Amino acid sequence: MAPPKDTMFRSADMSLTQLYISNEIGREVVSALGELGVMDFRDLNSETTAFQRTFTQEIRRLDNVERQLRYFHSQMDKASIPMRSIYDFNNPFTSPSASEIDELADKSQSLENRISSLNESYETLKKREVELTESRWVLREAGGFFDRARGQTEEIRQSVDDDDAPLLQDVEQHGQADTGGDRSFSVMNIGFVAGVIPRERIAAFERILWRTLRGNLYMNQSEIPEPIINPENNEEISKNVFIIFAHGKEIIAKIRKISESLGAALYSVDENSELRRDQVRETNQRLNDLASVLRNTKSTLDAELTAIGRNLAAWMVIIKKEKATYQTLNKFSYDHQRKTLIAEAWAPTNSLGLIKSSLQDVNDRAGLSVPTIVNQIKTTKTPPTYFKTNRFTLGFQTIIDAYGTIKYREVNPALPAIVTFPFMFAVMFGDFGHGVILFLASLAMIYYERKLQRSKLDELFSMIFYGRYIVFMMGVFSMYTGLIYCDAFSLELPIFKSMWVWDNDGRGPTSSRVEGYTYPFGLDWRWHDTDNDLLFSNSYKMKLSILLGWCHMTFSLCWSLVNSRYFHTPIDIWGNFLPGMIFFQSIFGYLSFSIVYKWAVDWAARGQNPPSLLNMLIYMFLQPGTLENPDAPLYKGQATVQVILLLLALICVPILLFLKPFYLRWEHNKARALGYRGIGESTRVSALDDDDDDEEGRTLNGGRESFGDDEDGIAMITQDIGHGEDHEEFEFSEVMIHQVIHTIEFCLNCVSHTASYLRLWALSLAHQRLSIVLWDMTMKNAFGYTGVTGAILMVPVFYLWFVLTVFVLCVMEGTSAMLHSLRLHWVEAMSKHFIGDGVPFEPFSFEVLLEEEPVE
Amino acid sequence: MANGWAPFIGAVVVAAFCAIVWFAAPKGENQTIWRSTLILSAVSMYLMWAITFLAQLHPLISPIRPGLRPESELGH
Repeated sequence: MAPPKDTMFRSADMSLTQLYISNEIGREVVSALGELGVMDFRDLNSETTAFQRTFTQEIRRLDNVERQLRYFHSQMDKASIPMRSIYDFNNPFTSPSASEIDELADKSQSLENRISSLNESYETLKKREVELTESRWVLREAGGFFDRARGQTEEIRQSVDDDDAPLLQDVEQHGQADTGGDRSFSVMNIGFVAGVIPRERIAAFERILWRTLRGNLYMNQSEIPEPIINPENNEEISKNVFIIFAHGKEIIAKIRKISESLGAALYSVDENSELRRDQVRETNQRLNDLASVLRNTKSTLDAELTAIGRNLAAWMVIIKKEKATYQTLNKFSYDHQRKTLIAEAWAPTNSLGLIKSSLQDVNDRAGLSVPTIVNQIKTTKTPPTYFKTNRFTLGFQTIIDAYGTIKYREVNPALPAIVTFPFMFAVMFGDFGHGVILFLASLAMIYYERKLQRSKLDELFSMIFYGRYIVFMMGVFSMYTGLIYCDAFSLELPIFKSMWVWDNDGRGPTSSRVEGYTYPFGLDWRWHDTDNDLLFSNSYKMKLSILLGWCHMTFSLCWSLVNSRYFHTPIDIWGNFLPGMIFFQSIFGYLSFSIVYKWAVDWAARGQNPPSLLNMLIYMFLQPGTLENPDAPLYKGQATVQVILLLLALICVPILLFLKPFYLRWEHNKARALGYRGIGESTRVSALDDDDDDEEGRTLNGGRESFGDDEDGIAMITQDIGHGEDHEEFEFSEVMIHQVIHTIEFCLNCVSHTASYLRLWALSLAHQRLSIVLWDMTMKNAFGYTGVTGAILMVPVFYLWFVLTVFVLCVMEGTSAMLHSLRLHWVEAMSKHFIGDGVPFEPFSFEVLLEEEPVE
Repeated sequence: MANGWAPFIGAVVVAAFCAIVWFAAPKGENQTIWRSTLILSAVSMYLMWAITFLAQLHPLISPIRPGLRPESELGH
């Protein structure tokens, strides 16, 4: 029997399948199924931990390879070498053989060694280079200090050299010092420390030195004009060269310690200028040598990384798939005797043929004589809910799924939402011009779909892009409702001849109707910019909201009928749907009828004032049988009809309240009387009813009719691996409470939900008023000027108006209208029929995997 | 031109359109989506139009121009 075609109306028909896979081709089979992406494998080893599973070793190895690939990627980022995009490969999705994976693992291992050794030597060299550069700066700057300091040596008291020297010797030796020329500091017993320190530490450094040495130092420093690059993290640090002169060995040692603890690098400088010159020369030479070595290393590294970058994306994809394959294999149970893997998976019944044929392919390729066996198992477990979506329906399905997972085979609210969601939006957003903007924006997104999908988008835009087909529908319907409201950027659209003519030869202010003519499409444009346009459009839009709300809710309520018919629960029809429907229609169906009826009657021709509908509804409830104005009824016999309707609604409440729970209790008791028992309630059952023990054994078997009527005993395996989805025991009080809640909710919601649809009116009013204000404040003022001023003024004002239109009216107002439409669907419509206790279908699919963790 | 029968004529037109869509919808796995989308669109657009039309069929008020006093009051 071929299953019926899967449509979006109901979730796909699923079957629990069991696969017997020969151990040798397990990997190939799973990888082929991953390419298909239609099987949701059940975990058959849920009681074992991740480490105890069969393929943990393989996964660890792949983890290591993945880490190595990530390492390459980070190295490439560091060297800013681009990776070849995943989209440039012809076919990155071919599944590799096991030996290819081994090869890849070996290759990435050796590459990692090579890259890391290259990197290490590069970093060492770089560090050396930094040191040399710093040392050169120290030499250069310190040289300056020395030269300056030398000029001042004569001012330094000579007494420091020799404590015993008489005070006057200083003066006597003055001339000698001059002739000495090249007097060294060491003679004066003055030591010095030179080095480099990060600039932000210099203040602290100075302060600490000053405090610890009590001022016994002379410090000189200068900034290095160019920043020094730290090779470890490629960060630029600006540093200062310092040189500190102090007196005494201990103090020098102390200074050294302090500067090292503050992260300064110390370099030796010779005070002799000759030697210093040599030092500088030597440093420069070494720097040159180092630079050339560095260049070589860098180019080798870059070449290596570029070569890797050409294939890295493909490798990443392959390893990701391989890892997922083994993770899935870990869910299988292994039959040691028959050397087969046993897997259980949910799959759409319609895909079984595809699955079988691709398994056959794998078998043929491997040249194995033992075929892979695919079995269908019957089970009482709830199958997962699966909708095959396409680009167009994905957004709408996501909206509904965001509210709750749809029950298996339940009516899918996303199908009507394709129209009703954007339509409700458009009722609130009705403006032809804004609709055109939305429409064009969505068209652009759809046209550049491929390009945009591949590029990285920011969060807000990617959300809009995700819903581009929703925006498309919104745009289409907004244009339509804009035409109906006769608004384009708040201006009128005089398409047809107006049904109103100004009195007094077109001067007004009053108007009269063209006899026998009604404006054929939408609102008459004559209402624009009149004194009483709000009076008219409010009454119109309020009634429009009520009528559309009534239609939408009745439509949604009907789906509950479809559901209960499909699930063969007639009690839901008699106990829930029918009384609910009658209750709703006798109040709000009647209100909708009255609105239309009142419109259809020509009250002026009757010479009668039409009765107020609001008061009518209030009187219907508060004083049944009487009318506000008994002399002028809406129609003949109005009072009687209203009493009947009210009684009908009242009768429905107890039916809604009691019918279903009492029916269920009666059914349950009948089953009990016949001796049926729930599975697994054996002990309690015998305590409640005085059944004999042997009889209980019999009844237990009677209760499990839905299990294992399969050909062979294979199906037994599913019974043991339950996730605790027991049959719920019948408990009358619970059912009753549930029904009481449902009844109260339903009756109150009929009122509040109808009122809730008035948001259609409120939002559309707000949107229209806002766009009128925007036009009046900008463009209308600009049109007031003529000539050159007007022309010049027009440009900025137009831009202002346009930008505000897009951002305030389209984006902001659009978002709010969308949220309100969302609420109308989630709350007002779906509460009428949505069951929604499904389990989402999560197939093992490489495509989904790569979507979730994209390789970029 | 347009009179009280227009909503009924419109309903017939929409019903005819729906019937055409039902049979002419492209075959294949998206047939349901085509049918439901087109039919629902047609019906909801019709509803909106019909409601607007009915609201103006026998209007209880007529437009009044802003900022002008009736000339008759001024003149006499």
